[in-house]
Amino acid sequence: MKKFTSTLIKPTRRQFLTSTAGALALASAPAIIRPAKAADNFKIGLFAALTGPASLFGPTQKACAELAVDQVNAAGGINDKKVELIVVDGGVSPADAAKTGIRLMLNEQVDFVVGSHDSAVRQALVAAFKGKLPYVYTPIYEGNECAPHTYVIADTPPQQLDLALPWLAQHSGMDTVYMIGNDYVWPQVLNKYAKGMIAKLGGKVVGEEYMPLGAPNKFEEVVTRIKAANPKLVFVTLVGGDNVNFNRTFAAFGADKITRLSSLLEENTLLGIGKENANNLYGAMSYYANIETPRNAAFKQAYAAKFGAKAPNLSLLGEDCYAGVKFTAAVANKAGSANTAAVAKAALNLTFEAPGGQWTMRANRHVDKDMHLADATGGSFKVIKSVANMASGQTCT
Amino acid sequence: MDPLILTQGLNVLFAVTLLVIIVLGLAVVFGWLGVMNLAHGEFIMLGAYAAVFTNQHGLPFILAVPLAMLVCGTVGWLVERILIRPLYARPFDLLLATWGLGILIREVVEAFYGGGFHNVPVPVAGAVDVLGASYPAYRLLIIALAAPLIGLMLWWYLKSSTGARVKAMVGNPELAQAVGIQTDVLARNTFIFGSLLAGLAGVVIAPLMSANPYMGLDFVITAFFAIIVGGLGSVLGLFVGSGIIGGLDSVVSAILNRTTAYLLVLAIAVFFLWLRPRGIFSRV
Amino acid sequence: MAYFLAFSAALVALVLAIPAVLGLYWTFQLSLTFLYAIVAIGIGICWGQGGFLPLGQGMFLGLGAYMSGLILVNYSGSAIIWLLLPAAAIVPAVLAWGIGLAVFRGRTESGPFFALITLALTLLAFQIANTWNDVTGGFNGLRNIPDLPGMDGYDARYYFAAGALVAALGLAAWLINAPLGVVWRALAQNERRIVFFGYSTTHLKATAFAVAGFLAGFAGLLYAPQQNLVTPTLSGFLISADLVIWTAVGGRRSVIGPPVGAILIGVLTTELRDRVTVWEVIVSLVFILVVLYLPNGLVGMLAPLQRRLAALAARRPKPVEAPPPAHGGLAAPALGVDGCHLSVGDVHILDGLSLALEAPSIYCLIGPNGAGKTSTFNTITGELKSQSGDIRFDGVALGALPPERIAKLGIGRKFQIPSVFTELSVRDNIHVALWGTRARFLDLLKPSLRRWQTPVLAQLRQRYPFLENDAEMAGNLSHGERQILELAMSLVAEPRLLLLDEPCAGMSAEDSQIVIDTIHWARQTLGLTVVVIEHDMALVREIADHIFVMHQGSLLAQGDVASIQADTRVRDVYVGITV
Repeated sequence: MKKFTSTLIKPTRRQFLTSTAGALALASAPAIIRPAKAADNFKIGLFAALTGPASLFGPTQKACAELAVDQVNAAGGINDKKVELIVVDGGVSPADAAKTGIRLMLNEQVDFVVGSHDSAVRQALVAAFKGKLPYVYTPIYEGNECAPHTYVIADTPPQQLDLALPWLAQHSGMDTVYMIGNDYVWPQVLNKYAKGMIAKLGGKVVGEEYMPLGAPNKFEEVVTRIKAANPKLVFVTLVGGDNVNFNRTFAAFGADKITRLSSLLEENTLLGIGKENANNLYGAMSYYANIETPRNAAFKQAYAAKFGAKAPNLSLLGEDCYAGVKFTAAVANKAGSANTAAVAKAALNLTFEAPGGQWTMRANRHVDKDMHLADATGGSFKVIKSVANMASGQTCT
Repeated sequence: MDPLILTQGLNVLFAVTLLVIIVLGLAVVFGWLGVMNLAHGEFIMLGAYAAVFTNQHGLPFILAVPLAMLVCGTVGWLVERILIRPLYARPFDLLLATWGLGILIREVVEAFYGGGFHNVPVPVAGAVDVLGASYPAYRLLIIALAAPLIGLMLWWYLKSSTGARVKAMVGNPELAQAVGIQTDVLARNTFIFGSLLAGLAGVVIAPLMSANPYMGLDFVITAFFAIIVGGLGSVLGLFVGSGIIGGLDSVVSAILNRTTAYLLVLAIAVFFLWLRPRGIFSRV
Repeated sequence: MAYFLAFSAALVALVLAIPAVLGLYWTFQLSLTFLYAIVAIGIGICWGQGGFLPLGQGMFLGLGAYMSGLILVNYSGSAIIWLLLPAAAIVPAVLAWGIGLAVFRGRTESGPFFALITLALTLLAFQIANTWNDVTGGFNGLRNIPDLPGMDGYDARYYFAAGALVAALGLAAWLINAPLGVVWRALAQNERRIVFFGYSTTHLKATAFAVAGFLAGFAGLLYAPQQNLVTPTLSGFLISADLVIWTAVGGRRSVIGPPVGAILIGVLTTELRDRVTVWEVIVSLVFILVVLYLPNGLVGMLAPLQRRLAALAARRPKPVEAPPPAHGGLAAPALGVDGCHLSVGDVHILDGLSLALEAPSIYCLIGPNGAGKTSTFNTITGELKSQSGDIRFDGVALGALPPERIAKLGIGRKFQIPSVFTELSVRDNIHVALWGTRARFLDLLKPSLRRWQTPVLAQLRQRYPFLENDAEMAGNLSHGERQILELAMSLVAEPRLLLLDEPCAGMSAEDSQIVIDTIHWARQTLGLTVVVIEHDMALVREIADHIFVMHQGSLLAQGDVASIQADTRVRDVYVGITV
């Protein structure tokens, strides 16, 4: 093998051992000295994206949840107990998340778990909890979670599409639709639902493409194809970096006269896409930071007051954690305890407040919620239509 | 000519050009020095963040180039000294050490900038009409500028004395040392040069896809495959390897779909790694 | 031995006590960590023993887990699962074996490329797992996998995982301490050399990889019913990379290192990830430091202690007579090289070379630099293939045979630069040479091989007392001793034809004399034919019965010492006048 140089002076083994041991000890010291357990608190375990591909949302998820906890405590806590928030990492592999879930359940003995993470982790947590404690799943997702004692306040495909598609059909026409998404369950479910609606609206799907998830994707070829097909609407179910790349490429090729609807378009993604690339780009979700309602204004004010100028950007992924804590407070207070049966009874038709609107938990353990259609042209969201109490379209018993 | 076919043709050309730009730094470091630098993508990412920096401070885009070179050159110098030099004779350990380095760089950048996406506006906006097809101006500029720049590099490598010394060092390190070539200095400078090229690639790429700390992972594996296919240490191999991998990816994406293209690229990489690890043109 | 038993007993007691002492959460957590530790053991075998790095073990872990999950989902409740489940560990092993054979065949030093291949394959596996919705459940994974019968509690799963880990450790310890382990370690140090002792490196490496595939598949088999959910991330690159990092930090060379690394770092990561925001940075820094300064990991820091204990424990056991070498027979070998051509580009390395060895004697191959002497040896031993012409050994054509087969036919070789296995003991070096032509592959698993003794070996130990220092590391020997050790290794294999490439290079006059005496002795005792490449004319005069003079790739002259000395062409060639 090639040898180009002489080596550096190597430290002795002893030096290495002592320095590493020192470093490790220093790092783990606070962890090993566990805080004394205050047994009389109402504990909520929050799974936030502290690491992993969604880790950009971690700070705002944590911040929003902390704000909610503050407000709940200020209003007297839950069942006369102070609320304590325990934040853990939901951006890990499903098996590791299950480990943490068990830990929350057995060691910290949390009363409720609120989770903002992907579906694989959710399934692992459902399997780990086995319905022994109430679990609130909050972000946007593909639907079909019917596990008992799992309360889903996340946006579902019917909620997004029942709002967006009819409006877009009127606004820019839906004669031809091109679908582009990542190759996994959520875009596939969205596309399936969308196809049904498009048919009802008299439109036709002229292209349906899937990009592999987690691969280094480039979009020049797909954008060229879409341009050539010249549809009335492009339905984009790409996520994360792919969503950003696609939209930038789309605009670069001058295709942005064509209307785009993106299923996961929140403030951070829009920042990445850039204001010059967001013409005719729409999204439909239950929260945008720019919603102009007194409720949202109050929320933003409280958020700014607590976290100041350096507050992490507000988006749906963050606000969902706030809503999750608020729901927990509402349902546990109504039930008088965190007992799963009592909570199940209390949850039925319970209405509670989220910054995005008023949400009502139904028998299918999903919420009817206010949905907002927003135009992202110019790089910031402008809500152009809101519909209250949209049904989740989920058939769980 | 049918604008669709012309545009897809330009897409193929662009895909190959972009891959060459990405691979260039790694070709220098892996092809010449034999260093499997799994942190190559993170050097590109550093270059992209140089562009983010200039954008955030209202500076012209072109200033990102010297900034990226400064940052990547410094990091490259440090890395070569501390990490690479002790491990030249231990290729697996080197591979792992650069993987650890990549994680480290990612975490540091994330600590400064957060994990989100940072927009860098395209320095040359709009589209240009090319024989009836409308193609983004910035991408055309990349294609147009890359060719002479790479040609310049090739000319330098083939004609200059430094190029000759590098070739000697790559071919026979002991003999090169024996004739007085300071191989350790040359190796260090070669590694820094490779880092500079990676930083430059990052600056070029930033307006295309926005910067985020995880972007490096996408590049490094495809870059390795392009070099494997083309052949280590060979300049012609760099182009042929990028041409095959990038071109195939683009053509199959254009005709069929991206998933098939990606699987095909992986399959070809495995094929070459298995049956022709020396690549098509092998110099070492 | 007693120390080892006491240590193991303490460990077992600790493992059994954990559920009672640390509670349910740790029981649950360690059940999973033990499975990762099993995969890490496999990585340790490939990398720490065999010297090649598998970067994609997630592929086999995922395959085993998906197979196990599918079997349980479809057949749970019927006894047939016990018949089908082992397939979840065996199929990955077979796949690994196949990949190993395909990648390693006929090629040495393919290490880094192999690492990249496993990386590419794991990316492929991830995509397949992600998109093949009907079978794998896609991104959301295979869910609601039933438990194994009788294992629905946390405690039961923990003990099962712990038992599996102990079994895996036992397997690894057995293999690493078996003769196979010695051969693997020799392979890792000098793959090219070991071929010349008659070992098929392809099969050796493929076996190691198959063991790793088996262990990963086995861990996957247990993973599915333990977690009740299998997702594509299990076959992805990130978990594969993490496993390699844990193995490196723990110490890849020892049996206990990889699982220690997996358990230690795995547990610390789970505990500290949420609390210490810079945990990832710390792990990557520690990892880099370990790679740079502690190639044997944390456990490796205990290595001097281990070695001292091992030295205490090692006594030479009662010897057993070794079976005869594969080629049997002491009949005089007949080697015929007939018109061999080999060119690379414009350079004619061999240009119509023809020579023949008939009677057993000492031949010397001389010629100016670049005449093709070493290349002739390389062609005979199968490292280079002549492009035309024929080489026959006892009538067997050597052209198509791989080097290890040629070695087994009874052609031995000693290299110019002593290439003993520096990180093996003297005894292990000799054993590697001894076993090569005598042991079949499965014999390498028998501990009785360590007791093999031959008359030749006994006599060599008498001539060179330093060869009795069983535990001395070959790397600590002087240059002269290494030359002699290598010569001894070549002789112990009892070849019929021995090719020596400058056997006295770099040796003092006394040491050279010892070597010459040994060569004479070997020829008399073993009846072996020796071909020596030498530049030192005094030496040639002393030992040669017959001399071949090579020039520019072909035979210029041959004859005994006197006729060659008188030959003007030879003199001209050495002086530099072109013929």
